[in-house]
Amino acid sequence: MLKDITLGQYLPGNTLVHRLDPRAKILLTALYIAMVFCVKSPVWYVLPLGYLVLASRTAGLRFRQMLKSVKPLRFLLILTFALNLFFSAGTTVWLQWGVLRITREGFFTALHFSMRLVFLVVGTSVLTLTTSPVSLSDGIEMLLKPLKVIRFPAHELAMMMTIALRFIPTLIEETDKIMKAQMARGADFESGNLLRRVKAMVPLLVPLFVSAFRHAGDLAMAMEARCYHGGEGRTRLRVLRFTPADGYALALTLGFLALVIAGGVLLP
Amino acid sequence: MPIQIEHLSHTYLPGSPFSSVAIHDVTLDIQDGEFIGILGHTGSGKTTLAQHLNGLLRPTEGRVVVDGLDITQKGIRLLEVRKKVGLVFQYPEHQLFEETVAKDIAFGPKNMGLDKAEIAERVQEACALVGLPFDQVADRSPFELSGGQMRRVAIAGVLAMRPRVLILDEPTAGLDPAGRRSILDMIRSLHAKGGLTVIMISHNMDDIASLATRLVVMSAGKLVMTGTPREVFGQEELLKSIGLGVPQAAELTHALIAQGFDLPKDLYTLEEVRDHLLRLVGCPSAPKEDQGPGPKEVPAHA
Repeated sequence: MLKDITLGQYLPGNTLVHRLDPRAKILLTALYIAMVFCVKSPVWYVLPLGYLVLASRTAGLRFRQMLKSVKPLRFLLILTFALNLFFSAGTTVWLQWGVLRITREGFFTALHFSMRLVFLVVGTSVLTLTTSPVSLSDGIEMLLKPLKVIRFPAHELAMMMTIALRFIPTLIEETDKIMKAQMARGADFESGNLLRRVKAMVPLLVPLFVSAFRHAGDLAMAMEARCYHGGEGRTRLRVLRFTPADGYALALTLGFLALVIAGGVLLP
Repeated sequence: MPIQIEHLSHTYLPGSPFSSVAIHDVTLDIQDGEFIGILGHTGSGKTTLAQHLNGLLRPTEGRVVVDGLDITQKGIRLLEVRKKVGLVFQYPEHQLFEETVAKDIAFGPKNMGLDKAEIAERVQEACALVGLPFDQVADRSPFELSGGQMRRVAIAGVLAMRPRVLILDEPTAGLDPAGRRSILDMIRSLHAKGGLTVIMISHNMDDIASLATRLVVMSAGKLVMTGTPREVFGQEELLKSIGLGVPQAAELTHALIAQGFDLPKDLYTLEEVRDHLLRLVGCPSAPKEDQGPGPKEVPAHA
């Protein structure tokens, strides 16, 4: 049951996109986000769409997998669309119904903002679908490293992220096991009113906390036993290197961004 | 209360890139009063199989019939099944959560909706079954007990539901030799005196050899062999090829035969080996067992 959740949602593969340097991929994603925000009218979403199709084709992702990331946002999407649809100022009235009215401008604003949301989520999912959590946090660490001059704890942050990510599957597995063990003793996690359900979580949460603390203690011990003392002077097993492919991808993305900006300026 | 497993298959995460077949086409009949040992390497599907027997997992294909009732069909009252089939997970002490031992053991009976007096009686009974002194531990926190005692509390929590089939997943994992021996003795008496059908999962051949009446060997999700311990442990080659072994006594016997001793090939408990060796050295009858079976009387380096 809980095993069906794919957290981190990384899909292993060996395509060009998978092999890109994680730092480059994070930068590309940032540029892509900028691109989506630069789109001025719904028509120009063809450019980010083209970019997404290109990226997902190269990465061998199916569209269904990418759209999955929109699912948790569906209520926010509906809300965004509805609010903009009914409460935007506009002159060309299409429908009037009490205080609610739908205008042409309102409709296009609603469309615009919901498409922006969908494009942001689907686009960033290309990053998380093709980059393993470990290399993702590696990339973040390297990108944040320059901030060390203002005493930003880049290494510590990345280490915490890596550990947290590393333990998500372990804790999910443990939750699954404890849940099953209590269900074998007749526990019922699925029925009853809210209070009953909250109470039913106690037999799950107490053992889970106990085991999380046990894991944390073991891990701290194991890290100390291997002389971990923070990021100072630590070398890497996998050294990140930019390749020509990273450069091409960057150039291509910048090209798309320029087109979107140009489009917004020339043909609004 | 017989259990029939028919063409059972289970695939985790079907249809995703991570899908993996945990068990494939397993068919097995379990009769009343049997002591089944399920053997298999890590990842062979033993645990997955066990979780189908009380409806914790639903099969991808096939069905499980408990006491004439197909528990894999939709809308079945699983609590009824779980009352009959108790499942003790690996490291069951990790599931303890209550403030006191008595409360933790009472969790199962409470979920069954029993009244207070009945619950109290069952808690006491379960404590006695696992050999815990009720008066001393009942009001203590389960977290201050020793590892072996915590495991007993967890097993008592399952026994308090008075199941008729008890499944134990690696009940001796991580215990010291004394803890291991006493847990095994406890399981033995639950089967012999309590009349429970016991299904014990293990990859420790010696644990299984002295207890089980029938063995089921699994490898890579498939059932590769079932039979009496004597039949199964006679297949040393096959067992070794799937990453398992034979009990030390069987290994000893084979080593002695290779040295030229005249012993039958299919011995697998230390008691049998002892008796045969005594006969070989001219002691006409082996001494009567007085301390119960156990490895203490025969030096391991004999």
